Amino acid sequence: MEISVTLFGGLRHFLPAGSSFNKCKIGVDEGASLEALLQRVPIPADKPYLVIVNDEKVSREAYADTRIQAGDDVVLLPPIKGG
Amino acid sequence: MTWQNKILRVNLSNGSCEIEPLNMEWADAYLGSRGLGSKYLYEEMDPAADALSAENRIIFATGPLTGTMASTGGRYTVITKGPLTGGIACSNSGGKFGGELKMAGYDMLIIEGESERPVYLHIEDEKVEICDASEIWGKTVWETEDILAQKYADPLMRFAGIGQAGETLCRYACVVNDKHRAAGRSGVGAVMGAKKIKTIAVRGTTGVRNKDPKAFYDKVNEVNSRLDDRDGMSRDGTLAMIDVTNRFGSLPTRNNRSVSFEGAEKLNPEAMHTPNANGHTNIVTNGACFGCTIGCGRICKIDPTHFSVKDRPEYHGASGGLEYESAYALGSACGVDDIDAATFAGFICNEYGMDPISMGGTIAAAMELFDIGAIDETTTGGIKLEFGSAEALCQIAELTGKGEGFGADVAMGSKRLCEKYGHPDLSMTVKGQEFAAYDGRSMQGMGLAYATSNRGACHLRADPYEHDFETTEIAGKAEIVRDSQHVVAFLDSSGLCLFPGGCGWGVEDYRELVDAACDGDWSGEERMRETGERIWTLEKLFNLRAGLSKKDDTLPKRILEEPADVGTGKGLVCRLDEMLPEYYELSGWDAEGVPTAATLARLGLN
Repeated sequence: MEISVTLFGGLRHFLPAGSSFNKCKIGVDEGASLEALLQRVPIPADKPYLVIVNDEKVSREAYADTRIQAGDDVVLLPPIKGG
Repeated sequence: MTWQNKILRVNLSNGSCEIEPLNMEWADAYLGSRGLGSKYLYEEMDPAADALSAENRIIFATGPLTGTMASTGGRYTVITKGPLTGGIACSNSGGKFGGELKMAGYDMLIIEGESERPVYLHIEDEKVEICDASEIWGKTVWETEDILAQKYADPLMRFAGIGQAGETLCRYACVVNDKHRAAGRSGVGAVMGAKKIKTIAVRGTTGVRNKDPKAFYDKVNEVNSRLDDRDGMSRDGTLAMIDVTNRFGSLPTRNNRSVSFEGAEKLNPEAMHTPNANGHTNIVTNGACFGCTIGCGRICKIDPTHFSVKDRPEYHGASGGLEYESAYALGSACGVDDIDAATFAGFICNEYGMDPISMGGTIAAAMELFDIGAIDETTTGGIKLEFGSAEALCQIAELTGKGEGFGADVAMGSKRLCEKYGHPDLSMTVKGQEFAAYDGRSMQGMGLAYATSNRGACHLRADPYEHDFETTEIAGKAEIVRDSQHVVAFLDSSGLCLFPGGCGWGVEDYRELVDAACDGDWSGEERMRETGERIWTLEKLFNLRAGLSKKDDTLPKRILEEPADVGTGKGLVCRLDEMLPEYYELSGWDAEGVPTAATLARLGLN
């Protein structure tokens, strides 16, 4: 299945070629974990980000136990500041 | 060095302009800009005096790194007693004015007294004159700069001044330089208006000297290499934050009734970069201040067919566009998702000289007053001031800039507005200053930072961001807020911008730049933290002497009692009552928020 992943702010730098403004489609197996999905998003390991799935924040510790389903809205937010 | 060792003191009451040496003992203790200007203000005026009286001072202070080749080294701070809050105001700006003032040979310009007639100040190095401003009084910021630029015919002359909002004493009038950069917060422009000084025109031809030019040059090169665009600041500017806070649930919406805005995607970087149905794209390019290698500024154009500027070609050119704070205040806070309308309201703020955060926050409060029936169209002069109305936003913005009609009420700020119409709880302010673009329920540390900020609600007085995005649990937040308040006070006093800290620099980079440039040993972290704490505590002392107290270190009832409706903080209120005592204790203050004698002695503030 393909999951829509949105990368905001500077994370947009890491969108695969052919992505839209800030979204990409990532293919994973049915029943895949959030951890498996994130491993397929080409963001360097030293780049921190927050993960929101269907408007709920998911803590780092819960990545492996969170199952992704078709139609899920996955958003990656960089820890930026200021205004 | 890099201090110029000179202050320009101008007394508008007797017309004197005198150059005096900088107090280097104070520079050693307070560094420059925000810190050093605050020290002079504290020593020279009674904090209890009326902010709009002749007794108030207004100080334009550069930092030791202002005018150097360090990236972002163009900052200056306007320090005065704030007419919005009644406490200390220290409002920071970029652009090119600060560097020019430093190049004219001054660490600081202190303006005291008040003029009987409108004047402006003309500075070319040591040539200083107070000039008649009858030709420019009543003009906008933009008109004023154009008139004087033509008069002096020097493309390198820089201006920092007020528009009609400052002249009419709008409580959140700002000082605008370079047409769209501003010392925006706390009403510093109204102090200029009260003193009847319209603008400061400055041209400098001196240089700056560093303690160790090679070490400084090497450090500048090293740290600049880290300010690349990896965090998207030049492409998206601070506006990138709107997607983060909207999804996280900390984007204040409709006067903080909500923490997420359904129209945010019409105001975000994608909306700014994407052509609309007419083929018009909001953003033209990015912009940079003096010496800046980031370039977070937005230079934008309004669709010429948009209702706000149709048949008004004077607004068809490119100027300073929406940044995160103005997109919140003129967008989500008012429930407006029209990017051109919000851009127009932002242009009006720059043109008339108003803080868009406070103006937007006040209009949002007025919209809620309208919504509950506390005011109606007879109050607003026929304007249907409904949440979401782009037309009402644009109309009220212009009226406020001119101080006309209901705009005169909006110019008071939301605290005074809501008190006037019987609903003080609807003012989303701390110490009378409107919230910035973060909600203190999902970002508990920011709630504490707002409540304890010496200049009223502010997102740039502490750095709780990372921890707040990590957790809503309050453990550790008091310490993070207190520590970062001290560090930020030091950084603000250097003459550099805070934004490199979010784009690849560490605090030690600022410190090493200061150490390479400035006389003395600034290499130690302890000295940096102690200097910052001294500055923060001095500001606190100013406020205490001005009559502020623990009762002012608080948040609106909505943030303390009404749970956030959605997002990460759904169901939460700000737990300020638990964090504040810990914050006071960690600060070395008593239970009433007053620094103890031991704390004052440790900081040399006896």
